[in-house]
Amino acid sequence: MNIAVCVKQTPDTETRVKLTDDQKAVNESDINFILNPYDEFAVEEALKLRETNGGEVTIISLGPDRVKSAIRSALAMGADKAIHLVADKNPSDPNAVAGALAEELKTGNYDLILLGKQAIDDDHAQLPSLLGEKLGLPAVTVVVKLDINGDQVTAEREIDGAHEIVTCNLPAVIGAQRGLNEPRYASLKGIMKAKKIPIEEKPAALAADQLEIESFNYPPEKSAGKIVGDSADAVPELLRLLHEEAKVI
Amino acid sequence: MAKENLPSFSKGMFSGVILDELVFPYPKMKEEEAEDLKMMQDSFRKFAEDHIDGQKIDEEEKYPDGLIDQLKELGFMGLSVPEEYDGFGLSATAYTKMFELFGGINPSVAITLGAHQSIGYKGLVLYGNEEQKKKYLPKLASGEMLAAYCLTEPGAGSDAAGIKTKAVRDEENGVYILNGSKIWITNGGVADFFTVFAKEEMPDKDGKMTEKISAFLVTRDMGGITSGKEEHKLGLKGSSTTEVFFEDVKVPFENLLGERGKGFKIAMNVLNNGRLGLAGGSIGALKVVMKEAIAHIRQRKQFRKTLSEFEMIKEKVAQMTVDLFATESMIYLTSGLVDRGDVDYSLESAMCKIRATEVTWHGVNECLQMVGGLGFMKEYPYQRYLRDGRVNMIFEGTNEILRMFTALAGMHERGQYLRKIGTALKGPIKGFGVLTDYATQWLKGRVSTERIRDVHPELAAAKVQFETWAKNMHFSAERALIHVGKNIIYREMIQERLANAAIDLYAMIATISRVDTMITEKGAENCSVEIKLCNTFADQAWRRVRRNLLMVDSNNDREMREIADFIVDQEKYPFETI
Repeated sequence: MNIAVCVKQTPDTETRVKLTDDQKAVNESDINFILNPYDEFAVEEALKLRETNGGEVTIISLGPDRVKSAIRSALAMGADKAIHLVADKNPSDPNAVAGALAEELKTGNYDLILLGKQAIDDDHAQLPSLLGEKLGLPAVTVVVKLDINGDQVTAEREIDGAHEIVTCNLPAVIGAQRGLNEPRYASLKGIMKAKKIPIEEKPAALAADQLEIESFNYPPEKSAGKIVGDSADAVPELLRLLHEEAKVI
Repeated sequence: MAKENLPSFSKGMFSGVILDELVFPYPKMKEEEAEDLKMMQDSFRKFAEDHIDGQKIDEEEKYPDGLIDQLKELGFMGLSVPEEYDGFGLSATAYTKMFELFGGINPSVAITLGAHQSIGYKGLVLYGNEEQKKKYLPKLASGEMLAAYCLTEPGAGSDAAGIKTKAVRDEENGVYILNGSKIWITNGGVADFFTVFAKEEMPDKDGKMTEKISAFLVTRDMGGITSGKEEHKLGLKGSSTTEVFFEDVKVPFENLLGERGKGFKIAMNVLNNGRLGLAGGSIGALKVVMKEAIAHIRQRKQFRKTLSEFEMIKEKVAQMTVDLFATESMIYLTSGLVDRGDVDYSLESAMCKIRATEVTWHGVNECLQMVGGLGFMKEYPYQRYLRDGRVNMIFEGTNEILRMFTALAGMHERGQYLRKIGTALKGPIKGFGVLTDYATQWLKGRVSTERIRDVHPELAAAKVQFETWAKNMHFSAERALIHVGKNIIYREMIQERLANAAIDLYAMIATISRVDTMITEKGAENCSVEIKLCNTFADQAWRRVRRNLLMVDSNNDREMREIADFIVDQEKYPFETI
């Protein structure tokens, strides 16, 4: 099975976000970048499928030079090949990213395209569907269970309050959700092996962004909490405040 | 083993020579290795998040099933095995950084991993022959075999030369018969590979039979090896610590490690090497505990202010930061010296171990204090890290022994030199050359300063403080040698002060070098906090150095000895209030 996994490099979940002076971007100077956690599920699923079906796993990532370390992380988990679509920055428009990725994916004759359901930085969660559209392939996202039997795909996806079971044929695009699997840890052997795998560089065929970021703002500071009382007597007052002041009930 | 062509920076300092080319610029890891390291760290961090629960390990006094096997599978047993023997051949710098991470996440796990590779199989890496390495290193790297270092015995702790374990050569069968027991052996209950130090009778250079220490590679499958019960310890409770008994163990001649009779040197060199890992592990623990405590003082309010707004809390935070920054500077300057491969770093690694374990002990204690009552509660990690870190000041050479080592090894060369001059003074004409040489050196020291290269103006004052007090340390050491003579070996309080001064001075120059190198790369305007840390440390350090040096000459040592002798004689504290 010829599998492509599209991965993104994102800031570590523990990052304290600082903005640039013009507030139009995140200041990257002190950020520790990681492989997007949802993409890890995608990589793991690809590796498991390769273990049972044979084939190859190709990692594809778009972005500036620094994304190579995310590619290496995916290779260290056990992927076979990697393509870096070089861009001077991570575009903020998912449509532009999907376009460039689709151009590359078209050339690879892939049976399956896996990726995380979303990236933890901008949280657009659009890429699986956009890729399906651009490639003319079925796309199933927020997938927590994936079975592939020959050409037949059975995917279980999370929806509000239930799971939906979807079937389609390969080739297809699958967006991975937490719970799909337990990603393996990169072993030291894997890390050393990954170093020896060449990363193929190609310019990213990016169309102009159609989406422009006006500004980022820090979340408002939380105001201090209030203790209404410490016994059952305080309940009516608590209810009143929740209803009238906080307006949550 | 790497050749040590260049003298030690600190030994030079004791002799009044500052070998600044050894410490400038501050060493930097190669970019490629830095990338590998980051991935290895990420892998361990992720694994630990899912599988290492420090509190549970502490309470149950054991690791969860499979933990060690998983660590083996991921490759964490082969960090210091060279790549040609299926290991990962990390540089000393990357290795120490890995141990910083292990020690921060869980000191027990760090010590299990450290006993295996910092000391357990390190002797084999440093002194083994090709066949021995081929036979064992791949298995040790994969963790198929777990290693332990067996030196300490009931009757021989700090005085390691006093070991009683015997190895008797059986020429007919080509084996040594090994008998004896070793105590407090980390990994003792789980290891299959032991680097054992034992005495054997061998002819000395005059052909007389004498007992000398040799080192042996012993595996559990040789038979006759048993482990005692697991010890219950103050901390590091997940790690295995047992007595190990050797009863008529037949060790083939080819398992002799290094040369016959050179075991003591091997034992000491393995420890010299291992101490950096321990130093790294220590500061890793402090960094983790600091993070917890800082989160607490940011949000906990008393008198309508967060704890972080109180000046005595600020003082604690600042002090542990200054100390940590300086200690870290020492450790990675030293690991850089190790990675050069041509420098004697024995003193520097001992100094790092002393400083790192004490800074961590005090720092963790202060973190515990900052969080108040919480710190005393078992469900918070402070007390655990305090307990886990306590033994670091005891094992791999007690900090007292290491201070003696620092001072005496530091003064050794000068002592030899002065002894030569002693002879020279007896026969002045014959020794004329030596005397002139000495006199020149002495005068040079008096008239001009031994100067180091220029640093950024922001650090110039710190540099002058270093130069001034390094010179004074040299003179104090020299005066002590002249006044006390060879009795210096009994004057431990003098040794202690000189060692403390040397540690502070080494920390000063390491910090200056680190920040100076950083300024060159990033510009002073981007290093303002680091400059402040460096200058604050230097200012505190030279005052401590001054006090220590003053007390070499003027002290209560006689009274202190007399009081101690009196009390020991009384066998208790004998006084009552009136």
